[in-house]
Amino acid sequence: MSDSRDDFIIAIRYSLLKKGTKQKFSLFFLIIFSIFIVVLDKLTIPPIGFIKTTLKDVVYRVTVIASSPGKFILYTGSKAKEHFNIYDENRVLREEIEVLKKNEFDNSFLKTENKNLKMALGLEAIQDTEEGSATVAKVIIDQESPFLKSIIINKGTKHNISKGMTVFSKKYLIGTVIESNYLSSRVLLITDLNSKIPTIIEDSDINIILTGNGNKNDFILEYLPDDYQLQPNKIIFTSGKGGFLKTGMPVAETYLNKKNEVKVKSLTDPQQASIVRVTKGQFRN
Amino acid sequence: MYTLKSIKEVLSKSLPVILLYFLSFSSFESLKQFPNLVLFSFNFHMIIIYFYILKFPEYLGIGHIFVAGIINDVVIGTPLGSSSLSFLIMCFFTTYIKNVTLRSKMSAEWFTFIPAIFFSNLVFFVIINNFSNLSFYYIELLTNSFFTFLFFPVFYFLFVNYQKQFKND
Repeated sequence: MSDSRDDFIIAIRYSLLKKGTKQKFSLFFLIIFSIFIVVLDKLTIPPIGFIKTTLKDVVYRVTVIASSPGKFILYTGSKAKEHFNIYDENRVLREEIEVLKKNEFDNSFLKTENKNLKMALGLEAIQDTEEGSATVAKVIIDQESPFLKSIIINKGTKHNISKGMTVFSKKYLIGTVIESNYLSSRVLLITDLNSKIPTIIEDSDINIILTGNGNKNDFILEYLPDDYQLQPNKIIFTSGKGGFLKTGMPVAETYLNKKNEVKVKSLTDPQQASIVRVTKGQFRN
Repeated sequence: MYTLKSIKEVLSKSLPVILLYFLSFSSFESLKQFPNLVLFSFNFHMIIIYFYILKFPEYLGIGHIFVAGIINDVVIGTPLGSSSLSFLIMCFFTTYIKNVTLRSKMSAEWFTFIPAIFFSNLVFFVIINNFSNLSFYYIELLTNSFFTFLFFPVFYFLFVNYQKQFKND
């Protein structure tokens, strides 16, 4: 019993301290060093912060180069697929144009009606409260990770990008800046599990929290009342609760999946964004 | 001619190191990279580390593993040092297995890969839960670990055959 315990301790000690052939460091030293780095990363000391942002900027630049062959293969594949689907796509787009034309007439009618009603009630037009203008940035890394659904953009503190700013692709909200380095920033996408947006469902007054689930076609609606029956083809807008985002920005929509279940999907694929706009508050089209 | 030959030799001997750095920089998630094709991923880092530390430790330095882990953390957005520590725990477990094994068999090494993945991931989860505010996709990670285990024999034979060219060293 004692011998086997001694053997076990010897084997562990040998594994930790023995330097193998051509090994410059012992495992024990590197494990302690890793723990030290983890602790340092948690602390927010200014010199460490500077080293961290510099390291991240350098690594992101190399990552852009390292991931380019893979990106090129995917790009070629998607272009070939697009080419084969062009006829079907054209037919669908024509039909969509017809629907949109009709909607445009409806919208202009509603706009005029809304204006007249406001005038009749004596209400002033609500002013947009956008602070500052949007910064256009390019997505340099969009690799998926099992832990964080995020993208890296090529603008950082040098371009006045700071933590907490909102990011839009076209006119749709896609995420928030969670890390800002000197020349690059990391954007947490709305599809991430850590993303929580106060929202409201079209044609209802129900306030819910839209939470990511790692998948653009499967969002989670938190605090949805038990007796509420979710309908397909309803747009989910930002509610503006908390004052972080402007009210009424479309974020997602409900749809019927193949199993006839009502699910929520994002209006745009955040992972596919190539050019984004970063603002301090809200994006005005 | 001689220079080219020696460069080629150095490069082929450094394949595990190059591969490890490339995977870290490109945050390669194996077959999941191809959309609509395959819906699973596996941790190629773990397979390389486990195999080379177990069979050919002289071809993969633990210093490189440590640096590759730091790069991996930067790219995937996890706390700095967490992947390094996870990879080093994998190294420690593998070295321990190597020390206590008298006669190595592929099947035995394959099954000892399970506790190696478990302890390595456990350390990673503990760090993420205590040193960051990130949430997990537990199912995805479980699938990832399962396929990492499943794919090990494939890469085992590939790497063993690859290393045969250096058997005179």
